[in-house]
Amino acid sequence: MYGRTASRLVKELASNEANQLSSFNNDLVDQVIKECDEHHLELQNMMRKIQNEGLDIQTTRNADHFGSVIHHLSLSRNKRCLMAYVYNRAQIIQDLRWKVGHTLPQEIKEKLNHREVEYFKNHSDALEKYISGLDLDLTVDMVPPKDPYLKVRVLEDIGHVPLGDQSSNLAQHSIHFLKRTDAERFISLGLMEELPG
Amino acid sequence: MASGSDEGLGFGSEDIDASSISALPTEVELLKRAWRNEKASPEILQFQEDVVTNARLQIEHMEETVEAYEEDGKDALTVSLYQMDLDRTEFLLRSYLRTRLQKIEKYMIHISKTELWNRLSKAEQNFATSCKENMENHLKQSVLSRLPYGYQDFCKQSISSEEDDMVPQPQLDTFVFCKSKKTVGSFQLDEGGDEVVDLIADDLYVLRYKSIKPLVETGQIDLV
Repeated sequence: MYGRTASRLVKELASNEANQLSSFNNDLVDQVIKECDEHHLELQNMMRKIQNEGLDIQTTRNADHFGSVIHHLSLSRNKRCLMAYVYNRAQIIQDLRWKVGHTLPQEIKEKLNHREVEYFKNHSDALEKYISGLDLDLTVDMVPPKDPYLKVRVLEDIGHVPLGDQSSNLAQHSIHFLKRTDAERFISLGLMEELPG
Repeated sequence: MASGSDEGLGFGSEDIDASSISALPTEVELLKRAWRNEKASPEILQFQEDVVTNARLQIEHMEETVEAYEEDGKDALTVSLYQMDLDRTEFLLRSYLRTRLQKIEKYMIHISKTELWNRLSKAEQNFATSCKENMENHLKQSVLSRLPYGYQDFCKQSISSEEDDMVPQPQLDTFVFCKSKKTVGSFQLDEGGDEVVDLIADDLYVLRYKSIKPLVETGQIDLV
């Protein structure tokens, strides 16, 4: 049935958990695009037939006219599904910039196709340009601050890092009392965790 | 959270020079209002340039104050209270700008095609432009260039569509919580005039954003 393949793309989006990506479905996208070409071919054939019969294409209401309408609508619908698929994935991808920073973790990168990786890079650049023009880092402070200091445990060896006016050795498993703004960037990279209390 | 900055001012009135921070409540209040409106509104609002500029000056001022206190060896509690106040203000500012960016990211095409464009700051416009270019290129390469002729437009479903029918737009008939600053009197909610609401100062309402849009834009009503 026309349009069924395309609806699978949209279903795939909908069945993902919110803001989670599955691998880019190249096969399905290719299939839908092939279907589009077939619709277009049929559509053109029917149009040509109407013209060859010497009928006015604007006013003719015969079988060929309605056939071509069906092909046109199916094609438009396929386009909407394809666009929704790529567009919504791109929206999730650009949100990642706020969550993981400008480098994509390997496990996420595997799920993107090369154009999406490129898109993420371009979008990050645009955002970074805005932020550097502003001279205020917008990617920290994502949740309202409760306390200016946090107790954190280091999950992976970070090494010596200058914090404030001194340098701290952030060795694995060590526990520190840090300024929230300093700690946040490590937490978002998954290198530290916040300890309650 | 709501009264955070007010509390911050109440502390240590004897040993802290209150005049150095006297400008604080209004600036922060204004920022908080802009932030709340922006957070709650489904579409992007006018960029509050003055508020942002003043808030940034204020933040600088507060940073200097905190530093000066640290150097003077004021007691740690006082300093940390000021630091907290500073952090809160910084959060508000960042969150305000961020909320706007996220709206731009979501509705870049719609914004760049409508009068909403003029509500953006210069820097935001630049950001929106490159955002849109990136998205357009991405969609062109991934989908549009592979579709048959006549179906390759970015904003239209096909060549036969008369207007743009593929642009994601914010939902304006969503419900928002709002509070009127002063009594507006009876206000018509729909075009037919069947639904009229009496807006009384400081009363809380839940209304469709679309119907109170003009009041939000003129600043007569605040979203909460």
